[in-house]
Amino acid sequence: MTRASQPRWLAHADTLGRWLENLLLSVLLAGLILLAGAQIVLRDAFSIGVSWADGAIRLAVLWLAVLGAVAAARDNKHIAINFADRLLPAPLRRPVRVIVDAFAALVCGLLAWYSWVFVHDSAQGGDVLLNEWPAWIFQVVLPVAFALICYRYALKSLRGLFGGT
Amino acid sequence: MILLGVALLLLALLGAPLFTIIGGSALLGFFREGVNLSVVPIDFFGLAETPVLVAIPLFTFAGFLLSEGGAPKRLVNLSQALLGWLPGGLAMISLAGCALFTAFTGASGITIIALGALLYPALTESGYKDKFSLGLITMSGSLGLLFAPSLPLILYGIVAKAPIDDLFLAGIVPGTLMLILLSIYSYWHSRRLVRPARSASGVGLLTALREAKWDLPLPVVVLGGIYSGYFAVSEAAAVTAAYVLIVEMLVLREVAWRALPRIVRESMVLVGAILIILGMSLASTNYMIDAQVPQHLFAYVAHVIKGPNTFLLALLVFLLILGAILDIFSSIVLVVPLILPIAHLYGINPIHLGIVFLAAMELGYLTPPVGLNLFIASHRFERDIAEVYWATLPFLLVLLISVVIIAYVPGLSLLFLS
Repeated sequence: MTRASQPRWLAHADTLGRWLENLLLSVLLAGLILLAGAQIVLRDAFSIGVSWADGAIRLAVLWLAVLGAVAAARDNKHIAINFADRLLPAPLRRPVRVIVDAFAALVCGLLAWYSWVFVHDSAQGGDVLLNEWPAWIFQVVLPVAFALICYRYALKSLRGLFGGT
Repeated sequence: MILLGVALLLLALLGAPLFTIIGGSALLGFFREGVNLSVVPIDFFGLAETPVLVAIPLFTFAGFLLSEGGAPKRLVNLSQALLGWLPGGLAMISLAGCALFTAFTGASGITIIALGALLYPALTESGYKDKFSLGLITMSGSLGLLFAPSLPLILYGIVAKAPIDDLFLAGIVPGTLMLILLSIYSYWHSRRLVRPARSASGVGLLTALREAKWDLPLPVVVLGGIYSGYFAVSEAAAVTAAYVLIVEMLVLREVAWRALPRIVRESMVLVGAILIILGMSLASTNYMIDAQVPQHLFAYVAHVIKGPNTFLLALLVFLLILGAILDIFSSIVLVVPLILPIAHLYGINPIHLGIVFLAAMELGYLTPPVGLNLFIASHRFERDIAEVYWATLPFLLVLLISVVIIAYVPGLSLLFLS
């Protein structure tokens, strides 16, 4: 589907969303490189260990992974077995895509919902990460990301159903 | 239940993202057991408790950034200056260069795009047959999987909870064996070629060395650091990412700052695609352990297969089929937790198992119907997929021989391990 054929607000939303993803990924990756680098310098040169650094690095990796997965859904780069496009006769491809994308949206919707339950319970239980921070601040990326991926696949499925190429 | 399982399999074959298949099957499994389904995101969040994982985004980013700049060109120039005078030399250069580059860029097919574009015309111009050149470049995209710091090696270590430093050491001899066998084939193939006019010249080598002065410290620092035990794997990854960033952006200024967000995105899309599968498999593996799948599987396997040699043979056949259907990253996270305990009971060392696993999966990049390299090469060089497949076949056979040797001579993998 070309940009010209979709509603203008959707094209704007796409540009903005892509820009936001790039920004967040770049900031997280830069932070990760700085933090991991600083940790080596501090440890080797000054024998200083920062108690929260390892935990923060691991959380940054999780965020990068999850936001990378959101970006991958937009770019259609999730790992999949691609028999269908190569082996199915052309008229079957579109209905198959509609079903497959709807299934992906369903699973991601369920994952978003149960991630929300997980984060909610964690906030209620007062879970803590990195010494003093409430854990839900870091965990909340899961329901948000799965909801975004769900939206992406739902959109693709609907587009396949109602036209567009 | 069986019906739902078949439906999931069908959806996978029809192209549903694999993480939704794995996540879906975990949700379904836990649902049937009556477990609260938020266990799946809780297991997924276990990604944040996996220490070495940080090496994956850092190495991937460094690899993507390296391939954007002039490093591939300088690597080819330098190896050409070193080996260009040998009969079959250019082919060997391509093999060695691609292996090194793949190890650093994580075996994602980027080698074919970054190096293939330089090497393919060079090979055909030097008189190598078109079919040979195409096959060699296609195959080179996955060569180097066994060398540090390749992503599949790191991922295997994480999933199998095996020391990654040991895996890095274990890959050296088997990886070199593959290179040697392929070099012999290239030498044999090109024995009747006119020798390249270019001979080794001190001046050319010196220029190539000077050009590559900023690239050369990288493998030395990273591999030297890891193998000597000075750096932990995640530290080496941080140093690599920082070094490549500084050299490419500030010293050589080969990559525009404007391009950086795109490179970050492309590399993190790959990281996200791999790690979301890993996260889902944390949940599905927990379910399978709950449901005692490994025990059932072992009871079945033990009944059918007697002795470690038969087991290895069955494993190889299984991995070759698996590699033809599933990509290497999904295969590692899904299959390793299941076969690891079985292999253990047959007395197979987990490090050796890892090398065999990856070596066999390396072939999967080249086998239809889904071999990733076949499609990348077909797309990149605008050839029919069948043509690429036939061109790759002789290389596939040579690799198959090396995989069998690697599997049945554990000493090759375990040589440097005490």
